[in-house]
Amino acid sequence: MTAPLGLVVATERTPNTPHQFQFWTAIDSPVGIGTIVRVDGRQPVDGHIPHVYGVVTEGFSYTDLASPLFDVLGHDGDPGQAAFSPTERAEVRLYVAAVLRHVPEEPLQPVPMGEVFLATEVDVAVALRMDSYLREDANTGIPVGIYRSGGMDSAIYLDAEFLVGPEAAHLNITGVSGLATKTSAVEWLMASLFAHFPKSKGSVAAVCFNVKGPDLCFLDLPAELEETDRAMYETLGVPCAPFQNVRYFAPYKADNVSLNTLRSNEELLANVQPLTWGLKEVLQFAEVLLNRDDVDAKADALIDFIKERVLDRDFEDRVLKQKHRVRSFADLEGWFKDLLSGLEDQGSEHWRTHHVATIRKVRNRLSNISTRCAGLVTNDGHTSDLPFGDFADRAVYVVDVALAEEDAQDLIFARVVSKLREHLERRDLGVTHVVVFVDELNKYAPADGPDTYVRKMLLDIAERGRYLGLVLFSAQQFRSQVHRRVVGNAGTSLYGRMDGDELSTPGYAVLSAATRTKLATLSKGQLMVRHPHFTQPIFVSFPRPAVMRGRDGMERYPQAADVPLDVGVLRQLRRFEPALTLAWVQDVIGLYEEEDVLRALHATLAHAPEKAGAYFKAQFRKIVGAAPAPAVARTPLRALPDDDPYAI
Amino acid sequence: MDGVRSADGSAGKQKNSAAPKAEIGVFETVRSLHAAQRHLVRLVPNVRTATGGGSPLERLERDMELPHVIDAEGAEDATLRARPVPGAPIPAIRAFLDGTQRSQVLGWIGAFPLVYGTSGAVVRERIDRRLGTWRAPLVQHRIYAPLAYVAREELEGALGGMLEDTTRPAPDGTIAAPHPTLLLERATLAVSRDRERLELTLAERWCAERGDDPIMIDGGIGSSEAVAQAACAIGVVKSHRSLYAEGDALGVVLALGKGERSSVIRIAPRARSEVLSWYLRLRDTEGRDALWGLVRVEMCVIDDAKITARADEISRWLLAESSPLAAPDPRWDRMAYGIRSAEEFLRATTN
Repeated sequence: MTAPLGLVVATERTPNTPHQFQFWTAIDSPVGIGTIVRVDGRQPVDGHIPHVYGVVTEGFSYTDLASPLFDVLGHDGDPGQAAFSPTERAEVRLYVAAVLRHVPEEPLQPVPMGEVFLATEVDVAVALRMDSYLREDANTGIPVGIYRSGGMDSAIYLDAEFLVGPEAAHLNITGVSGLATKTSAVEWLMASLFAHFPKSKGSVAAVCFNVKGPDLCFLDLPAELEETDRAMYETLGVPCAPFQNVRYFAPYKADNVSLNTLRSNEELLANVQPLTWGLKEVLQFAEVLLNRDDVDAKADALIDFIKERVLDRDFEDRVLKQKHRVRSFADLEGWFKDLLSGLEDQGSEHWRTHHVATIRKVRNRLSNISTRCAGLVTNDGHTSDLPFGDFADRAVYVVDVALAEEDAQDLIFARVVSKLREHLERRDLGVTHVVVFVDELNKYAPADGPDTYVRKMLLDIAERGRYLGLVLFSAQQFRSQVHRRVVGNAGTSLYGRMDGDELSTPGYAVLSAATRTKLATLSKGQLMVRHPHFTQPIFVSFPRPAVMRGRDGMERYPQAADVPLDVGVLRQLRRFEPALTLAWVQDVIGLYEEEDVLRALHATLAHAPEKAGAYFKAQFRKIVGAAPAPAVARTPLRALPDDDPYAI
Repeated sequence: MDGVRSADGSAGKQKNSAAPKAEIGVFETVRSLHAAQRHLVRLVPNVRTATGGGSPLERLERDMELPHVIDAEGAEDATLRARPVPGAPIPAIRAFLDGTQRSQVLGWIGAFPLVYGTSGAVVRERIDRRLGTWRAPLVQHRIYAPLAYVAREELEGALGGMLEDTTRPAPDGTIAAPHPTLLLERATLAVSRDRERLELTLAERWCAERGDDPIMIDGGIGSSEAVAQAACAIGVVKSHRSLYAEGDALGVVLALGKGERSSVIRIAPRARSEVLSWYLRLRDTEGRDALWGLVRVEMCVIDDAKITARADEISRWLLAESSPLAAPDPRWDRMAYGIRSAEEFLRATTN
């Protein structure tokens, strides 16, 4: 039996309650804020000795001094004399602990006087109610980190049913930039989830929106880890390896040939795919991009008409000079031109109840989308998308929007999440659970500000996603400034190093002053965890992710510079056929317009053929048409005089 | 069985080690004032119990010995004089011994008071600048009753060895008058004697076992011959109702400056062993009365030739104990922190 660490104390002024108690310890005891302890009662209740588990939330230290003045007097005002004092004053270490669990649970009584012990590994499991989901026959534990105390390491597990549903779901992490290890924590937790998510619960994949920097750009590359990290991986039973199945998606730059991502180094392009959408895909989410202030109900009606009656259909009208089949922005522009020209010719101001001004406005707004989302939206209608319907278990799909314009970011987010939701509702996504990671929630789901489409989508995931298996892992710097329903629906919350101003907001009032202070001074790799099974926040350490850090990745695999069209084409084709050369590409595309080259390239990428070169070259023949007509021998109209000095 | 127990519950004295279980049961019944009241009400008829706990009798005004001066024989100098203590203060005292007492009216039988007394003593040993308890402290709970005026048999039957008679006949056969105030004073004095006995018991144990380690004892050391003759025992007297200096010598004592001591004198109060003693000023008296920071030190009698060196040495030890302050105790100018620690320990464990 281990020696007690402390003794429970209570006074009339500061009595113990069923949810809080005080105890004192020796000065050198290994107790600190966040330490989990066990109290053994002295008197049996209903025949059982009560055991109470608690976590230290506050600590006090004081001496028998009634006033600091006595200490000053005692040392003649010279702090240096304190070292010569023959006796150290009696000092008290008094701690306040919040109750985690009573065993037995009933009757719920104030914490009894008793001896206090450091919690053992078994105690920690009981205290955090992990024993209910770490059973051998039904283990749904997902390691989140290690609780350390008194030289003992205890693995702390989250309950998968409360992390990815259906009981509860979603995870939110908050903390200051740079020190809070938000991205690292999510990377680690995804690895842990992939390693421990029970097969019996289905399959799981992750879609990560990389909204800033290169942090998520090297998830498939190994990191250089220290031995302590490796030991933690071993303790927690998670493979110390990068993600095995990662696919990257990024829109093009405005040149439509270079990918707009920090992971553009040629060595890493094998699993990077363009993310491009045509008119059909964009028009479904037009409201994401169109400003409510200038797109009114009349414009909405016209847009709906186009979506339902014009898009991807043979469309004829007496006003139009020709039959149209609109598949791309270019087609749409042609349709608008024809329509407006026809109306002008007829001198009419209305077409099918739509006023010509409305038509011009909608034309203006829709045409503008391809400019605002250049690189994402293709004029030619070509689509390159995430593999909806073919998602793989334990795969990570990174959508890199870090370098994209804000409108494009919003559009990408809205469409990808909507598609995930659609497929999950139909149960045909390929996996049963998808974790969607979104950073910078302060920006996408602010507590105040306009009610944007993206915020509505995030709210929808937060409130209803768990029934579908659509799980939101979100991160932000200031939790207090995120929409309450988004963070409030997160079953699990992680807190890294926090900003003092943020901690002073009302949302943190439930934490003790000492806990808030600890949060403000957490070092990298430490987190405070709140989880439905834990009645109080718990501090844990987690290992560095086993994936290459963004900064290291950028040093090792620098971003590719902007290149001319021919080099860009070569880079893309080499992903499939490395033997291709620049000379070959130049020879193939030399005679063609850029638009034709891109159309051929996109078609090749979409089909990803083994012989990409041949496929690419064949596109030109198909698209551009016949070869130039052979030269015809011309006969002069009349014979030139032999002596004509001006004749050639 | 007299109710002396170590704080861990074991018998504090050798003779109690084989105490019958029944008496241990009685001890348990008087571990607190209220327990004792319940016990007596159950077993002794006509007992009226006091309500509200009652203030400690030690706080009540009572006739005390009048302050006085006594001439003493010089042991160091022919004429008592001030001597600066040479050298820097050096902490060498290893332990601090003190006792506490608390007397409360438990109840009455008729008009005669029954007093509940708690006395205790403890040694606080200093190890690595921190104070801890040496061995087990001694704690005693007893009931003090004027058995000459109340039903002796019933009380003795109920309390056994826990009972102390406050009306024991004097050597001339007289007994205290049945004045309630007088009986309360006699009870309080009896508690004091018990407290002193516990202190001496511990002091003797320390001197027997740790004779090379200096121990500061709160008060004089002459009431135990064994302690009075122990080189390790240093008595420090903080109250000065008796000043061992007359005439010019008194002026010298009262005018001692900080870090000065008086010449060593020999004192042998009635019924106490002879010891060597001197006055030592621990703190500056500027703006204070003449007794501020003044203590009287007692040590065993030693060869005259060694007196000066030993008195200086012990004075250096005591000066070193000026810090940390024993505040907020009102006697902090004369009290060592270790002595306060002993008092606080007993206050925490005996109340």
